[in-house]
Amino acid sequence: MTFEKEIAVALEVERVWAFLWDVERVARCLPGCREARAIVPHQRYAAVVSEQVGPFKVRFPLDIRVLEADAPRRLKAEASGRDPAMGSSLRVTLDLLLEANGTGSRLVIHSEVGLAGTLATLGQGIIQQQADGIMTRFAEAMRRELEAEGRAGC
Amino acid sequence: MLRPFEIHQPASAAEASRLRGALGEEAAFYAGGTELLLVMKEGLLRYAHLIDLKTIGGLDGIGVDATTGALCLGALATHAAIEHSPVVAERFPLLAEVERSVANVRVKNVGTLGGNLCFAEPHADPGPLFLACEATVRLEGAAGARDLPIGQFFVDAYQTARAPEEVLTQIRVPRFGPHTRGVYLRFGWHERPALGVALALTLDPGHTQVADVRVAVGGVTLRPTRLRGVEDRARGRGLDEVLASLETVGGAAAGDVRPTSDLYGSAEYKGAMVKVFVRRAFLGAAARFNGSGG
Repeated sequence: MTFEKEIAVALEVERVWAFLWDVERVARCLPGCREARAIVPHQRYAAVVSEQVGPFKVRFPLDIRVLEADAPRRLKAEASGRDPAMGSSLRVTLDLLLEANGTGSRLVIHSEVGLAGTLATLGQGIIQQQADGIMTRFAEAMRRELEAEGRAGC
Repeated sequence: MLRPFEIHQPASAAEASRLRGALGEEAAFYAGGTELLLVMKEGLLRYAHLIDLKTIGGLDGIGVDATTGALCLGALATHAAIEHSPVVAERFPLLAEVERSVANVRVKNVGTLGGNLCFAEPHADPGPLFLACEATVRLEGAAGARDLPIGQFFVDAYQTARAPEEVLTQIRVPRFGPHTRGVYLRFGWHERPALGVALALTLDPGHTQVADVRVAVGGVTLRPTRLRGVEDRARGRGLDEVLASLETVGGAAAGDVRPTSDLYGSAEYKGAMVKVFVRRAFLGAAARFNGSGG
């Protein structure tokens, strides 16, 4: 499943780029994300993501690896993890493309989400809608967080 | 493998509700178990306590409200009991017809109507039928009882407006008037419907004008959905005129639902099938004015 979200903020690319490396703040933007921490800064991180569809609850401890960091234009990372209780695994590739947009910036969030195992039997339609909702809220929360930073910096 | 759990057997809905409140998320209500035990065996849900609702007397009754004439279905009534009920056959034969096509004999004999509605699996037959019939559900908790239109009951896939400690005790289906006929059409290759369309058509006493129509679809999105745009296109028009323009009338469904792709079909395919089945449902309901009721 592939999703693409785009946000425009009145904050220069360098400051957006710096924000992207602030793990705690980015993690706060991702619905259900807890316990985010750096293992090796700029290379490897860990986080736990929880989500719920009706009575079904999942909890994925994620190993996040930075695949590409081309400052201040592109940040690509891959997160993978397994929920042993649900017998399911999750792999997400996140490709963040940043460019100047007038005096501000445009951030394109491209994500590929793969889910395998028992959980996938709930149905692709449900999972797709859920994942799309998460990515939409993620993008919206990032936009709010960046705009707050822009106001604070004025 | 099914993990060990403790079973509780309350004597009333209030006691069941209190038990759920005390045991919290470690507990779930257990009716027929045809959905619950399957997902528990798969390990998708783990409960240390199951609160068996089958020990509550009177929750499986099927009767008629003497004042309103509404059909009152106890939430613990099984699909088989509803299918073979003389009351259902007399008051709402369409429901018996739908129950005949639900799942298989093993599921029908233990699976309950309330369990089916509360599990809120998107591919299920009763939801869209009750939505088109404007049924209501009764939810009872320790704090009391409330009645909810079924359109407000379904929230999302596997999600309803029922609070965790509330027990669904009854489904009430208003009686069709003398000039209303209904149909339910299901389509699919498996036990569950890929798509289901329910339609309740009301004509004027002369049977030439569409006085009212309610159309609902299931399996296409994550919850049963009313096709209000389709209804608006048909309501108040001549029956012949509506039947002659079913392409346009059915086409309005595109504005009512945004289908989701799943193993039963792509969004595009489902969208096309909704149109086809809405058309067939209108023709089917209109034909029932010349023949048997429903």
